[in-house]
Amino acid sequence: MNVQTAPQARAPHVNTATLICGTLVSRDLKRVRHMLEGAFGLQCVQPEPGLLLARDRGFEQGGPKRGQPYWVLEIREVEEIAVEQEMLNHWGMAAPSEAAVDEAYAKLNAAKAEYGIARVQKPRFRNGSYACYFIDEDSNWWELEYRSPDLTYEVLRAKGDLHHD
Amino acid sequence: MAYPTPLLQNDTLSHGTVECSDMVTTRRFLTEFLGLDIHRPVKEAQYMYKGGPWTVVCVRVDGGEAKDQTQDNLFKLSVNSAAEVDAAHEAALRHAEEYGIRKVEPPRDADGLRSFRLQDLNFTWWEISNVALSHYDALFDRGDVAH
Repeated sequence: MNVQTAPQARAPHVNTATLICGTLVSRDLKRVRHMLEGAFGLQCVQPEPGLLLARDRGFEQGGPKRGQPYWVLEIREVEEIAVEQEMLNHWGMAAPSEAAVDEAYAKLNAAKAEYGIARVQKPRFRNGSYACYFIDEDSNWWELEYRSPDLTYEVLRAKGDLHHD
Repeated sequence: MAYPTPLLQNDTLSHGTVECSDMVTTRRFLTEFLGLDIHRPVKEAQYMYKGGPWTVVCVRVDGGEAKDQTQDNLFKLSVNSAAEVDAAHEAALRHAEEYGIRKVEPPRDADGLRSFRLQDLNFTWWEISNVALSHYDALFDRGDVAH
């Protein structure tokens, strides 16, 4: 494979407007819907058999965030999980405090069976956040993290590159 | 709309993650080819975003290759028209070797949307589509379809 590394200044080849959606799979949409709605507080809809969509709450008609951009998770039902996911392939959520992360650890541990959670890791500080990772029964990894105000994604974006190779 | 209180205190979906073997060549693909915005706040990862607050964290895998994902786990990029999907597809075919693009599938039409998929140098799948948030708004507004 010949991969050139010299940078070039020009318009990108793809005129991307939005990074809009991530996809994952589950062997049981009913179970994962209960997790996404009941545990994570997301809004879900099943627009067709075998497909579940999820987004943050508040974007419904008349909702406080209607018209603002949001991220969509698209979950398809499958017979088998072809590739088990690992920690470096996860979906993240933002917690309002470290205490909320600790609370999540305790509550998820106590309710694993109900929400289809296979494993919950103890919260720890890592890479600027305090986070708890948990794995669902489809091997999808999830993270609930708290970032201090100086290390939120928005603040880091504004700072630009802090490291170079 | 009245929602029940969830188990977790979750302010928002904040990010997803992908793996990469080489930060520099991956960044070139993500910015020059896919047109994403990138910044690198830490040595081990670069953060990509476009058009909203959501971030995909690209984490460097030390001492090996990124996981070979299937199309079950991909990221979708929205462009403004079917013509732009086709233009992106042509660009993917033309520049595949330059950017280490491993596979490029033909465009397809479904539910009034046009899209194609490609697998990048890190085995991550991307779908370029003319889907817009209005499409998802309509699906959420319509509610569950009985089956």
